Amino acid sequence: MATVFKTFQNNDINSTRTLLHESIPLTGTIVSGTYGGASVTLGNEPNIKNYSHGMFQSVYDYPYLSSSANHIFDLTIGVSTGSALSSSITSQQAKKVNLYNQMAGTLMGYDANGNIIRFDQDGDIAAGGNKIDDAIFINFARLLQKDEIKKGSFNIVIGVGDYTTTMTDLLTITDNGAENNYRTNASVGDYGILSCSVGGGFVQGTGSNINNGLVGLVFYQAGVVMLTSSLFMGTGSGGGVIAGNVPLVSGKTADDSFQTETIEENCNAFRNRINDISFNNTTELNSTIHFCRINNNEFNYSANPTYVSSSKLVVKNTQLDAPVSYFTTVGLYSADNELLAVAKLSEPLKKDPSNEMIVRVRLDY
Amino acid sequence: MGFLDNSGDIILDAVLTDTGRFRLAKGDGSFKIVKFALGDDEINYGLYNKNHASGSAFFDLEVLQTPVFEAFTNNTSTMQYKLLSIPRTNLLYLPVLKINSVTTNSKTNSGNDGFVLAVNTTTKTDFGTTEGVINGEAPAAEHIRIDQGLDTTEVSWTFTIDADLKETQYIVEVDNRLGVLSGRFAGVGITPPSFIDDDMVASYYFSGPRPSTAYVNDIRTINAQAWNNASNNNTFPSAEGTIQGPQGTALRFQIESSIDLKNSNFLFEKLGSSALGSALTSFGLSGASTYNYIDTIVKVTGATTGYRLDIPVRFIKKA
Repeated sequence: MATVFKTFQNNDINSTRTLLHESIPLTGTIVSGTYGGASVTLGNEPNIKNYSHGMFQSVYDYPYLSSSANHIFDLTIGVSTGSALSSSITSQQAKKVNLYNQMAGTLMGYDANGNIIRFDQDGDIAAGGNKIDDAIFINFARLLQKDEIKKGSFNIVIGVGDYTTTMTDLLTITDNGAENNYRTNASVGDYGILSCSVGGGFVQGTGSNINNGLVGLVFYQAGVVMLTSSLFMGTGSGGGVIAGNVPLVSGKTADDSFQTETIEENCNAFRNRINDISFNNTTELNSTIHFCRINNNEFNYSANPTYVSSSKLVVKNTQLDAPVSYFTTVGLYSADNELLAVAKLSEPLKKDPSNEMIVRVRLDY
Repeated sequence: MGFLDNSGDIILDAVLTDTGRFRLAKGDGSFKIVKFALGDDEINYGLYNKNHASGSAFFDLEVLQTPVFEAFTNNTSTMQYKLLSIPRTNLLYLPVLKINSVTTNSKTNSGNDGFVLAVNTTTKTDFGTTEGVINGEAPAAEHIRIDQGLDTTEVSWTFTIDADLKETQYIVEVDNRLGVLSGRFAGVGITPPSFIDDDMVASYYFSGPRPSTAYVNDIRTINAQAWNNASNNNTFPSAEGTIQGPQGTALRFQIESSIDLKNSNFLFEKLGSSALGSALTSFGLSGASTYNYIDTIVKVTGATTGYRLDIPVRFIKKA
């Protein structure tokens, strides 16, 4: 019986899962206030989108009014009601509190009593310890993070110099070692602890809010990075790694900035200190591999109209010649003969009764 | 669509077709790959030089250099010609499909060497007795007939075609916006399609041979008397068959115009053109009346032998 189809057997179809990683480098020139030229002031760059509600700020890689622009990340800040600052906030108090609650509620979840779990500095919620109550949030766009940020790959370099010369001192914050040491006690998925190296000009303050250089958290699947505002406070003022207070908004400490300045101003000031961000994203590819097994006695003839001339095979002189065919395409079909997927070879493959082959077609989902 | 880079290792460029994505999105389990086929759309076997002076290594030199397109995602644009599995390796002839334009009611129209479908009876009347014109509103005896078999004089037509070369199932693809299939000449009404894809191409499956059905019959049973060797002195019945060698099966069907074509000119304006009857004389029209028309292709594929035939069909409607 002539046939043009071959049915797959059970062991001809296999499923696999592959993790693909891309390196995502974000240079500070895109975000730190220099985009658009020297005449453009901080906060008015064409690639920065602010909203009338003032609750967050969006950063693009190109003027956002252009259709070529890609959304990179959003910035915002939040203050917990448990923070010493919260009662004395004079600008957008409710919004700052609401944002913290939204981020903490979504990322960390709620405890048995229905209370929002505050961000914990070392991720050991049960043990108590330092909480991060005043936070800066970087929410990466899915375009960059894809399925998740690769554990152990996150790196952000922040300038902690003077306000006008921010990049004279650089502080590197990473999730080093998170490949094998991350937390799973948050409702949104895995998260790692962000730390900066103490030493090399940076010190561990006594009785500070920042123990052992732990300055924030990175939520891998959610693509959110949160940093404590205490990062910018000097070791004598509740900080932990920088000797003196680093002004966030010009002339104001981080605490003052969080209390008296708008979210937008705080975001602008933080952007002004971003020197570099890099991480690897992860795309989870689920693949189905179809092994098309072509036996020696199969697919040796063709229904191509050029294959015959007056019904006679053009590739044979006599009956004794072996038939030969060439294929360029593999079609994958449903039971009702609908073509569901197609694979093209880069060059024709010869098929005759003397050869057998397996064509491996991988479909990624 | 670009060509694939063929300068290095063999690569495989795989994509879901539009139908595949459509079924995947439906989420009803209809996306299930159960079989595969191999295609050779780009190959021109005329380049195979089996008498190359330098020997067999050079027979397929040009064939193997054929550049290959990237994958088309349109399901109807690819896998037009498939490779065949036949266990025997000693075949020298393969069956083909041909329009039978010799029997009385299946003759083709001289305008397109295919068929004309008069969308309504008014238009059909203007054609008079022109051959190859089917009344799309009320089909009578005129029909499309496709014969299958070995079209060669090197094997006698009196031989019985091998069973594995006889086609038993046909797939007919028609633009569902334009027409539907029927077999009214044999008392069979409109046939529902097996499915309609995302491009509105309807696929019909017809199996046979079944003597009682209109669609698929053994050629030699349609007019058995004409094929009787003794009664015609072993002379090929040229008024009955178009396949010169051993006869396979015949597929016969009619097309009826869609409701949209009958009641509206929208599709004619979108897909077609218009002309005066005097400009359509090759199709059998004349006079100063204006006619709208749409040219399309009806694809007939042998499901088991894989051979495919494109039939040109012009839908014509008097304006």
